[in-house]
Amino acid sequence: MFSSFHRIIKFSFQDIVRNASLSVMTILILILMLLSINTLMVVRVLTDESIKAVKDQIDVSIYFHPEATEEEINEVREYVGSFPEVVDETYLNRDHVLETFKEHYKDNEEIIASLEELGENPLGPTMVVKTRDPKDYQKIIDALSIPEYENIIEAKTFADTQKAIERISAITTQVERFTYALTALFAIIAFIIIFNTIRVAIYTQRAEIGIKRLVGATNWFIRGPYIMESFFFTVVSVGVTYLIAHFVLRFLDPYIAIIFDEVGLLTNYFYSNIAMLLGMQFLAVLLLTVFTSALAMRKYLKV
Amino acid sequence: MIKLKGITKQYTRDSLGLEEVDLDIDAGEFVSIVGQSGTGKTTLVKLLIAEERPTSGEISVGGWNITNISSRDIPLLRRQIGVIFQDFKLLPQKTVCENVSFALEVAGEKDFRISQVVPRVLEIVGLGHKQDRYPHQLSGGEQQRVAIARSLVHRPKILVADEPTGNLDSINAQEIIEILKKINEFGTTIVLVTHNREVVNQLKKRVVTLHNGRIISDAEKAKYRL
Repeated sequence: MFSSFHRIIKFSFQDIVRNASLSVMTILILILMLLSINTLMVVRVLTDESIKAVKDQIDVSIYFHPEATEEEINEVREYVGSFPEVVDETYLNRDHVLETFKEHYKDNEEIIASLEELGENPLGPTMVVKTRDPKDYQKIIDALSIPEYENIIEAKTFADTQKAIERISAITTQVERFTYALTALFAIIAFIIIFNTIRVAIYTQRAEIGIKRLVGATNWFIRGPYIMESFFFTVVSVGVTYLIAHFVLRFLDPYIAIIFDEVGLLTNYFYSNIAMLLGMQFLAVLLLTVFTSALAMRKYLKV
Repeated sequence: MIKLKGITKQYTRDSLGLEEVDLDIDAGEFVSIVGQSGTGKTTLVKLLIAEERPTSGEISVGGWNITNISSRDIPLLRRQIGVIFQDFKLLPQKTVCENVSFALEVAGEKDFRISQVVPRVLEIVGLGHKQDRYPHQLSGGEQQRVAIARSLVHRPKILVADEPTGNLDSINAQEIIEILKKINEFGTTIVLVTHNREVVNQLKKRVVTLHNGRIISDAEKAKYRL
């Protein structure tokens, strides 16, 4: 059993060496296919990170009337705080709001002059609310749009970043579609090349196959080397892709850190999901290569 | 040892390989199957090694009914029947020793056993001193002897020789026949398919004559008559 397996491996390596150029071509195409799959992964990570960054910037500001009493404000704060969707609530008193306003418009003399002309602080306190999901902001705004709070709340603003998120999603979808198409294209090319590699191997070894049959080789002994070739193509292509991905992600990370303020974003993602990523890719390529080889053998190798 | 009962092999409507062939070959016999080209001799060989299935009738080899043998059992059958051909069917990139070992390798034999069996079989066919040569470095007769050695490594009960002297001169042909006779003396049943009149006449063994897919004569110690 062991010696048969050993011989199957020996014969499969002989085939690979005899058809070296086709073997290299097969591995190259598989690597390109895997690289496009990994590009898909990078696009996913970057998109998720972009959307997260945009979502982090979204909040709803509730501006109270300057005349609103502390009791009324506390009631609103308690009410808002009771929503499970609310993750953070920051209260800015009138003085703080005025300070921020002045800081914001320090270069606009007209506004600063008008403010001083008034003599008193015209701004009311502000409450800044953050929710788990941007979809929940509308719920908070609706909940506060009731007659009892009309005299307490002056305005409610919700920065419209939804469009930015939608735009990111739209771009991502397009990039993903393109990458999916590219992956499918490489898969088809890989299928054709593997099919031909096995076909050429069978053709060039037809005498040897005939002799194997004549002297009583089992079907598995004849087919085994081709299955082993598929396995070899898979191991090498996944291994090389892993190395390329490792270095490319390490190269990209410093540039991405500038945008997202997170060191080693891609490398960390890659290594924390390495078993799943490599496992899935290995399985996908193995299925593709074994299926293609089986099809070529079924068509050309009559044992 | 070999039993063919009412065997017919029809390839297409117009092409008949064998028709209603009945043949019994006992263990240890040396039988020559003769006939002109296209009379069904090669079809008979193909049926014996299960390369073809009969259209009708029954074939058994060593008591094993192989009429509808499964593809999984074919390798087992072929390890029990040694076969040699006119074109030797040797692998040019392998040495004599490797060509013979190959038959045992594909059958899953251990290296230790291969290293014991192969030199012994090569000695039987007189090629012990040429085991490291490649087929192109040997004469036709020597190449055929390598093929015989390869067919013997499984210790087959039957050896089917399909035109083994077809590519050889008379001296080399004689050598091959002598080896086949020697193997037969050890108890192996020999089925020799040939149209070499000299060889058949000199053997003075059983001769089965085929004509248009039918057996037209089957005689002991016979001569080639057509």
